[in-house]
Amino acid sequence: MDPARPTSGWPLLRRVLHEQRRGLIAGMVVGLLWSAGKVTVPRLTRLAVDKGVIGRDLLWFWSGLIAAVAVIAGVFSGWRRWIAFRESRLTETRLREQLFAHIMKLHVGYHDHTQTGQLMSRASSDLQQIQGFVVMIPITASNLAMVIAVVVVLFTSQPLLALIALAPLPVVNLLAQRFSRSIHPAVLAVQAEQAQLATVVEESVSGIRVIKGFGAEGVQAAKLRVEADDIRRESLESARIRSTFLPALDLLPNIGMIAVLAIGGHRVLNGDMTRGQMLEFMQYIALLIFPLRNLGMTVAFGQRAAAALLRVNEVLSTVPEVADPPKPHQLPQDGALGAVRFRHVTFGYDPAVPVLRGFDLTIAPGESVALVGGTGSGKSTVARLLTRFYDVQDGMVKIDGVDVRDLRLTDLRHAVGIVFEDTFLFNDSVFGNIAFARPDADPAEVERAARLAGAHDFVMRLPEGYATVIGERGFSLSGGQRQRIAIARAILADPRVLVLDDATSAVDPSKEHEIRDAMATVMQGRTTIVIAHRPGTIALADKVVLVDDGRVAASGTHDELLETSERYREVLAALTEEEREAAETADAGGAGDQVASDQVASDQVGS
Amino acid sequence: MWAASAISDEDRLDRSETNRVLRRSVEFAEPYKRWIYLAIGFVTVSTICTVAGPLLVKFAYDQGLAKENASALNTAIVAYLVVVAVNYVVGRQQYLAINNAGEGFLRDLRVRVFDRLQAQSMAFYDRNKAGVLVARMTADIESMSELIQWGLLQFVQAGLLLVITLVVLAVISWELTLVVLVVLPIIIVASVRFQRQSNKAYLDVREKVGQNLSSLQESIAGVRVIQAYDRQDEQIRRFHVTNRALYGSHLHSVRISVWYFGLVEWVGVFAIALIVGVGGWLSHQGSITVGTVAAFVLLLANLFEPVQQLSQLYNTVQSAAASLHKLYALIDAEPDVAEHPKPVVLPARGTLTAHDLTFRYDGAERSALTHVSISVAPGERLALVGPTGAGKSTLAKLLSRLYDPTEGYVTFGDIDLRLASMASLRERVVVVPQEGFLFGGTIRDNIRVARPGASDDEVAQALDRIGALERFEEFADGLETEVRERGSRLSAGERQLISLARAALVDPAVLVLDEATSNLDPGTEVVVERALEHLMTGRTVIVVAHRLSTVRRADRIAVVDHAKLVELGTHDELVALGGRYAALADAWARSQPNVG
Repeated sequence: MDPARPTSGWPLLRRVLHEQRRGLIAGMVVGLLWSAGKVTVPRLTRLAVDKGVIGRDLLWFWSGLIAAVAVIAGVFSGWRRWIAFRESRLTETRLREQLFAHIMKLHVGYHDHTQTGQLMSRASSDLQQIQGFVVMIPITASNLAMVIAVVVVLFTSQPLLALIALAPLPVVNLLAQRFSRSIHPAVLAVQAEQAQLATVVEESVSGIRVIKGFGAEGVQAAKLRVEADDIRRESLESARIRSTFLPALDLLPNIGMIAVLAIGGHRVLNGDMTRGQMLEFMQYIALLIFPLRNLGMTVAFGQRAAAALLRVNEVLSTVPEVADPPKPHQLPQDGALGAVRFRHVTFGYDPAVPVLRGFDLTIAPGESVALVGGTGSGKSTVARLLTRFYDVQDGMVKIDGVDVRDLRLTDLRHAVGIVFEDTFLFNDSVFGNIAFARPDADPAEVERAARLAGAHDFVMRLPEGYATVIGERGFSLSGGQRQRIAIARAILADPRVLVLDDATSAVDPSKEHEIRDAMATVMQGRTTIVIAHRPGTIALADKVVLVDDGRVAASGTHDELLETSERYREVLAALTEEEREAAETADAGGAGDQVASDQVASDQVGS
Repeated sequence: MWAASAISDEDRLDRSETNRVLRRSVEFAEPYKRWIYLAIGFVTVSTICTVAGPLLVKFAYDQGLAKENASALNTAIVAYLVVVAVNYVVGRQQYLAINNAGEGFLRDLRVRVFDRLQAQSMAFYDRNKAGVLVARMTADIESMSELIQWGLLQFVQAGLLLVITLVVLAVISWELTLVVLVVLPIIIVASVRFQRQSNKAYLDVREKVGQNLSSLQESIAGVRVIQAYDRQDEQIRRFHVTNRALYGSHLHSVRISVWYFGLVEWVGVFAIALIVGVGGWLSHQGSITVGTVAAFVLLLANLFEPVQQLSQLYNTVQSAAASLHKLYALIDAEPDVAEHPKPVVLPARGTLTAHDLTFRYDGAERSALTHVSISVAPGERLALVGPTGAGKSTLAKLLSRLYDPTEGYVTFGDIDLRLASMASLRERVVVVPQEGFLFGGTIRDNIRVARPGASDDEVAQALDRIGALERFEEFADGLETEVRERGSRLSAGERQLISLARAALVDPAVLVLDEATSNLDPGTEVVVERALEHLMTGRTVIVVAHRLSTVRRADRIAVVDHAKLVELGTHDELVALGGRYAALADAWARSQPNVG
């Protein structure tokens, strides 16, 4: 475990609350005014009953006073709520922005190890728990003030009665705390069981082909019954906890009431107390029930928020391992640019298992090199080191004579462009996706890049041309189209070194030459590293480098290697197989793919 | 502290839908009706106890204090104690009763929806998005558990409390009740209005939460591209836009609630002023007692709280009804590939024949297959080839009855597959999907999926038959290795081996293979090839082929193109024919000139 790992989330909360101290203090002040108004109501009621109703004096005055307090209570109660929620939502919103900014800056290695869902729940459910606690702060403060005020009022007027009537109330608080504390694990247990059921449902839906193929419905049905029964068991357990505490919480204040009735009643009979005073007592006790419960809940909310804060803080305090150097160097701007050098590079995602070992590669400015190798040979890792997604363990990577670790990340990443293997499109217009690297690019530049990438023609055929929204929730493009958008994106970025991680995903064979043409156009006069997953793309490069077992096993032209390297021929044969398989992948889907490939088919007929 | 819930206008049920949901719910709740009756009984008693408290106070005031009668006072005290004790006991029981009924109901609902989902055909899964189906089984049902845990109870309690309190108030003093009725409509109108507005506001919040989360998710998923192009700051700026929109939406919904809760607070105190004022004046007239005024002050809370609760619960109940409506619709959907009521057991061996098959996917414009007839003899190997989307996978699915043809039929040993028992069909014809899909559980569990009754030995034998036993036994936990824990560390090849072992465990007469297309490292590739060869020996094999080597090993080749069976024959025959297949084989051969 990381020794620097935070053990508490409170410092984070303290910092956030400090930033919002004005709002929070305002909330407490308003809350106190509300408490003050509320506390006078039973006293006024008593005066109204004793003096107005029974004493037949100034009845309208007293009830008018209560009505006036009603306005105060109403206004300040709404105001308190407003401030409490405004501040807590602000905390949530700001923390989410901090989290997001931090996540965006965390090194790729972190993201490779962390599931998207985990980060998502940090930024959603965990922040909600924190929000739920912050909202309680002004509310709890005024509730506390009210409890204190009521206790003082009661003790000053009838100390003994107050003592007896209030005795059960701390137990309410205690019980509410204990309740929240014991219900929480029960709720978590229910959630855990629900998650397990969800897993069974998910695998049953996504594995339906296997289930149908073997008639394995019964197996999954049995699993589901186990999970459904588990949920019921855990839910009933949490119901049992509720049933123990909740009625008790109702019971206790009533005992206070009875005490008032018993002792107070006899005092009234003895003439030591008025009937109005007794009603006042009862009202005060009723007034205390909710704040006391609330205080108990706050404690429990606080505990939950603490856990959430810790998790959020864990992310926020993770230091990006890949960061700007303290004294950054500049890349040379003159002469032949784009020299790349890997010197004795050793690297493994798990340091104990090196993927590259003593990897040496020199690429001259403007030269294009195809990296060829089997699965797991380390060829894709080369690109990740060049862009500093990861840092080398040993050796160094240089661009134009400068170690990539000596460059500011901005400079490095402007110098190196990548077309990824899995083309990622944002849920944005075609324009926005191409202009991703340079949002200020004008339409003419974007169109030029699209033309060079061979994307312009199909983009113009989209429903809204460059304004068409693509990406997960937008218009769906074919694999080849997606790739051409990604190439256009790289062209517009105009890097001095370009990495093309050639996709193995389904690209219609008839479109492949277009992509190859697009690649060839981009590569002209630019240092290019092609991670070749397909034999066809190898031909694009000036030089071929065979990567095997983390080293450069051979290099030369395609023909030279074919002649001299047995391993090269093997790898090439494997790639040829893979390529054909990939071309058929789309066929395996259901009707959705059927429709998609129908479109492709008609596309072919049309062209 | 009621969790917000909202319902959009499209989800609101009309009268007949509501009736249907009610009718089905009563039906589903049938096994739990004893708990339900108990719960209703307990709730009633508990509500009466709640109202009795202030009444006893009134009794103490009027009979005890006003008349200076100590024994009346004592009676009230003892009675109050009894009422509180009863309320406590009953209070516990009502939770347990309602939860026993509710959780049982949900458990049955889960099981029945799931069973029905599993009974559905592949076509159903094509029509419905996986995410939606999972959401039905999870979020939709879970959303109701909150309602069951306390909502239902509160709903009944609040309704009862409101009615009983009103009745009691009217009996004690109709004049003062009239005064209360002046204020009550304010609360009712405000509550209804608030509910409507906050429903809208909540839907807006939910939408903004969704937008914000998908913006977040997109940025996390695309973080590599973002960093590669140094666009972190731009993404952060964009995220701020959706995040602040969410903040604004939250504030809007708070603003609505601020008015409402402020008003409620005002009414609560104002009503006391009214009762004391008017009640005091009435008592001066001698028409009511001081005790009545006290009882009214104490009973007021019983009146306003239920109205608030009811209006808040209304949405929850409505959205639960909407969820139930969707779930019942799933349960009521008849599976289209169902077992015949009088199923026939298929013979051990037989010829698999397609009779003039035509098939169209739901919602597709064109047929995926038109008028295809083909016969595969026992022990024969048939390769299906053709371009992407031509229909060869569809043909394979029809031959194994994953779908029923739109026209025509498929027979095995002269028995229509639609008449066959599902059990015997899955024993005779096994489809091996190309990707090795793994379920949670151990390697052994995963293989046993194919035949749940199989013994450990049989599983091991199945692995052994395809020559893969050693490979898995080498794992530290052997066949007991949890696949999820090893997670992605089970290679694609190992996944496929498990998939093949499943088929070996069933030992079917007909094997339908969708040839694997995922990347395998050369070492595993050989092992999988060998396993496949073991598996195919002695069986009828229909393979959707992507490789020349596979095709060459087939006895006959069927070329499917544009939804039709265009060529059928041996490799040599088809090459001699000089048609589609000849062109394809030529292209295959030419694409690997440098190898072998």
